Amino acid sequence: MAGVWRVVVLNDPVNLMSYVVLVFKKVLGFDETTARRKMLEVHEQGRSVVWSGLREKAEAYAFTLQQWHLTTILEADETN
Amino acid sequence: MKRIDVKLAVPVVAPLLDVIKDLAGDLGETLAAPLALHDLDADFRAAWSDELLAAQKVEVGRLLGLFDDNFFREGVVAFDADNAEVILRACAVIRLRLRARALKPLADEVLEGGGADLLAVPDPVRKAFMCYLFLATLQELIIQNLDESILGS
Repeated sequence: MAGVWRVVVLNDPVNLMSYVVLVFKKVLGFDETTARRKMLEVHEQGRSVVWSGLREKAEAYAFTLQQWHLTTILEADETN
Repeated sequence: MKRIDVKLAVPVVAPLLDVIKDLAGDLGETLAAPLALHDLDADFRAAWSDELLAAQKVEVGRLLGLFDDNFFREGVVAFDADNAEVILRACAVIRLRLRARALKPLADEVLEGGGADLLAVPDPVRKAFMCYLFLATLQELIIQNLDESILGS
């Protein structure tokens, strides 16, 4: 579990764009522009890496995003 | 405390509440957004699921609690700092469940766009889709009208 981990939010057709932007701002501390850009990545590409870093903190972010009912996965960052 | 009061048409909303109640019961011990973290330690994963499930039950309970006797007398629901986030999340729960249970005949593009041909779908799907749109409207009202000091973003 060492190394760098990515927090990836997956698209769903249900949650509103405005809702996802709000969650990204609230949970990840994004500004409006970043939150909208990441939301559009999720919407258009089906997924977006919203954070990367140590496993423990990645798990905390993933859990909080799941609390907001966004489907979230963790991926090992093989480039690090 | 900043608050918004939303006046709703009781005869329109009441049938949709039946849909929400049915789905709330149907959820049982199931997460609306399934836990997709497959590499978690089993005990850790179980603890996460339990905590998420407990929170989900509280959220749905708060949503249903909005529509109390006072709502049926006055037709008004109120949102403020105390309930805004939990209602936002509860609406997400029920909308996700609607998709999984009642809206399978509708394509994802329709769900994203919110524009189904309601005359072309069976009555249960039509009712579920109206509920889906109603909950989205509540979410939009909260997001647009309660500022960052309340939603904390």
